[in-house]
Amino acid sequence: MSLAEPLAAAATAQRPARRGLSARLLRKPSAVAGLVLLSAILAMAALADVVYPLDPLDMVGTPFLWPGADPDFPLGTDMMGRDIASGVFHGARVSLLIGAVATLMSLVIGVGVGAVAGFFRGRADHLLMHVTELFQTIPPFLFAIVIVAILQPTMTTVVVAIGLTSWPSLARLVRAEVLRLRDGEMVQASIVLGLSDARIILTHVLPNVMAPIVVSASIMVASAILTESSLAFLGLGDPNIVSWGSMVGAGREVLRTDWYVATVPGLAIVAAVLALNLLGDGLNDALDPRQNRR
Amino acid sequence: MTSNASRSLLLRVASLAVGVTALFGGTAFAQAPQNGGTLTAIVQPEPVTLTSAINTAAPTGFISGNVFDGLVDYDLNLNPKPALAERWEVAPDGLSITFFLRRGVTWHDGHPFTSADVKWTLENVWKTIHPRNQATFGRVTQVETPDDHTVVLRLSEPSLAILSSVNSNGAQVLPKHLYAGTDILNNPHNLKPVGTGAFVFKEWSKGNHVILERNPNYWDKGKPHLDRIVFKVIPDAAARAAALEKGDVQYAVFSPVPLKDAERLAKLPNLKIETRGYEWLSPWLFFDLNVDNPYLKDVRVRRAIAHAIDRKAISNIVWYGFAKPAISPVPTTLGAFHDATVPQYEFDTKKAEALLDEAGYKRGPDGVRFALTHDFIPYGDDYKRTGEYLKQALKRVGIEVTIRSQDTAAFTKRVYGDRDFDISSAWFAAFSDPQVGVTRAYWSGWVGKNTPWTNGSGYRNPEVDALIAQAQGQARQEDRIATFKKIQQIVQTDLPSIPLAELKFFSVHAANLKDVVTHGDQIYGSLKDAWFDKTASN
Repeated sequence: MSLAEPLAAAATAQRPARRGLSARLLRKPSAVAGLVLLSAILAMAALADVVYPLDPLDMVGTPFLWPGADPDFPLGTDMMGRDIASGVFHGARVSLLIGAVATLMSLVIGVGVGAVAGFFRGRADHLLMHVTELFQTIPPFLFAIVIVAILQPTMTTVVVAIGLTSWPSLARLVRAEVLRLRDGEMVQASIVLGLSDARIILTHVLPNVMAPIVVSASIMVASAILTESSLAFLGLGDPNIVSWGSMVGAGREVLRTDWYVATVPGLAIVAAVLALNLLGDGLNDALDPRQNRR
Repeated sequence: MTSNASRSLLLRVASLAVGVTALFGGTAFAQAPQNGGTLTAIVQPEPVTLTSAINTAAPTGFISGNVFDGLVDYDLNLNPKPALAERWEVAPDGLSITFFLRRGVTWHDGHPFTSADVKWTLENVWKTIHPRNQATFGRVTQVETPDDHTVVLRLSEPSLAILSSVNSNGAQVLPKHLYAGTDILNNPHNLKPVGTGAFVFKEWSKGNHVILERNPNYWDKGKPHLDRIVFKVIPDAAARAAALEKGDVQYAVFSPVPLKDAERLAKLPNLKIETRGYEWLSPWLFFDLNVDNPYLKDVRVRRAIAHAIDRKAISNIVWYGFAKPAISPVPTTLGAFHDATVPQYEFDTKKAEALLDEAGYKRGPDGVRFALTHDFIPYGDDYKRTGEYLKQALKRVGIEVTIRSQDTAAFTKRVYGDRDFDISSAWFAAFSDPQVGVTRAYWSGWVGKNTPWTNGSGYRNPEVDALIAQAQGQARQEDRIATFKKIQQIVQTDLPSIPLAELKFFSVHAANLKDVVTHGDQIYGSLKDAWFDKTASN
C-alpha cells in the first residue's frame, strides 16, 4: 500500500498544472484570437439551421448576384442562384464535422498503434512500425484520392479516407513518447504492483502523452478540413452536401468572371485552418512546462 | 517622364499601324493554305478507345474522324460529298444503293483499301455491334462486291436513312485484314487505329495526349496541311480556358470552357468562338428514368417528375442559355421529323404532387415520399449542375435524390450494362434523321446489352419497336415522318426518358487557325483542311 503513495502524489502534482492551463492559454494573444475565431465558426455551424432554415442547395435568388448587391443575400449568390452565405454557414457544419470525425478516427488508430508499439516493443513494435512505414511511403493525399475514387465519394468515404491516411505521424509521435515513459519509474512501479498492461497504458502512460496528442489533434482537424476541401475541389466530394471545398470547386469555373463565388468559401477555409493552427500553437506553449517557467 | 510618355505613344501608334496592316493583309487576298505546323487541340474527357465503329462517344469521334475516312462527308448544309466513295447511286425502286469507291486508296499500313473492307465492316460491325447502325442498316439483306471498287447494298425495303449516316463517324470502315477473325471489341487496333485518313496514329500516352501525324500518302492530294495534331487531355475547365487564352492550345470543341467564360474569350483578338460544325449532331439532353425501379415503373411518377422540372431554368440558368428547352426527343433542328404536338409536362409542382399522391406515394412525416439516386454523365460541371438542379427540384415535391459521381467507364457500365441506377442523365446526338440517333434510346433490343449510349431507361414497348421497324423500311419520306411522329407521341406519353434541352455546343480556336470548320459533321470529321496562317501576328 505504501508503494502506491508516491503514485498518488504524482497525480496530484499534475493537477495544479492542469488548472493553470486555461489561464496560460488566455495569456497568449494568438491563442485567444484562434479561440475567438473557432468559437465564431462553431457558432455558425450551430446556428446554421436557425439563421438559414432552408436547404443551402436551394436555388433561391437570381444567379450571379455580387456580395452586397442584394441585402437578402449579403454574400451574393452563385451560378445556380444559391445563397452563398447559407452555404458558408451549412458548410461550416460539414467541414467541422468531417474534420472532427476524421481526426477522431486517426487519433484512435494513431494512438492505439503508437501506444501498443511503444509499450510492448519487440515483435509488436516491428510489425506495427512496418505497417506505419508502409502508409508513410504513400503520399497521404494521393492515397485519400484513391480510396474515395474506388469507394465512390460520399461523406462517410471521405471521412474514412482522411482518417485512414493521416494517422502514421501521430503513431510515431505517440510511440516515441511511450518508449520514453516505458522505462520511467512510474511505469516500472506499476508493473511491480501487478497492474494489467491495459490499465497501465490507459491510466498511467496515455495521460502523460496527452499534451503532444492534443496539440497535434488541433492541427489534424485543420489539415482534415483542408484535405476534404481539396477532394471536393477535385470533384471527389459528396455531391449531396455543401462543404466549403465543394463551393470553391463549383466556383472555380467562373473564377475569371465572378471570382467571389470561390473566394468567399475560400476565406472561410482560411479562417478555420488559421484558427485551429493558432489554437494548436497556443496549446503547445501552454502545455510545455519549460515554456511556462520562463 | 515626357520622353517616356512620348515613347509609349510612338509605340502605340506603331503597333496600331502593324495591326491595321495585319487586318488588311488578312482580308485583302483570299490566302492559299500554308503547310506545316503542329496543332494542339483538347480532347475532353479522355476517350476510352479511338475507334468510332465500336464506340460512338463524342471524344472518340473527335479524334477518330482524323484517322478514318467516311464513304462521304457532309457539307455545312448536310449534303453528302464524295470521300472514300467517289459517287453513289440509289436504284429507282430504292431497293439497292451502289457506292463506287475511290481507287488507289491505301490503309496506313500500306494495304490497299477495297470493297471487301466495306462489306466486312458492314456485316460484322455496323449491323451487329454499332450502337446506332443496327437501325440504319437493318434493311440491308446482302452486300455485293462485283469488283474491288464497287459495293452494292441490297435492301429488303427502301432505307432512306442510310445516306444520312455514312461519314467516318456514322459508318467507319475498318481494315478487314487487321480485324477479320479477331475479337472485334478487344482488338488492339481499337487503341492504335489504322485508317485511311489524313492523319496517321502515332502514340497515345494515357492521361496525357494522343498524337497524330500527317499522312504523306493521303488520297486527297495536297492535304492535310498540318504536320501533326496533338490532342491533349485537360480535365479542368478553367485550365482549358487558360491554355486557350495563352495559345498553348489552338482548338477545343464541345463547349470546352466554362459557359460563363465563353463571352469573355470571344472578345479576345487571338481567339474565335465557332458554333458551326455541330449541324450533323442535333444534340439533346435528357434524364433516363429506370422503368424497372419500383417507383419509376409507374407512369404517374414519371410524369410527376417531368412536371417538377423547370426546363426553362435548366436551359437558362444551369446551361447559361447555351441550350433551349426540349419539347420532344426529336429536336426541332430535324425539321419535319419534329412533332411539337406531343404531350407537354409544364412546370407545375402542384400537379406533380397530385400525381404522386394519386400513385399512392404520400409524403411521410418527414415530408419525404421516397428516395431515388441520380447518376450524371461525367462530362463536366454542366452535367453535375443539372444533377444538382434535379435533386432540388424533386426535393420540392417530396422525392429525396442522392447524387452519385463516377468516371465514364463506370457510368456506362452502371446505366447500360448493370442497370443499377434510378435516374441518369446523358446527351445523345439525334443526327439528321431520327432513325439514326433517336430510336436507339427507345428500342427494346438494347436494354441491358452494355452498349453505351442506347436505351438506358429499360423501356420495352412492342408497339414502339414495331413502329421503329416500320420506319426503317418506308420508301416515302412523308410516311417515315408520320411514323416518327407516332413514335414521339407514344414515348412522350409513356415518358421513359424526359427530354430536357437541345444543347448548343461551341468550339474555341486560335484566330490564326483557318478552315477549321468546313463540314457540317466537322466535329466528328477530319481536320484535313485546317491550316495555320503564319503571317498573322499571333
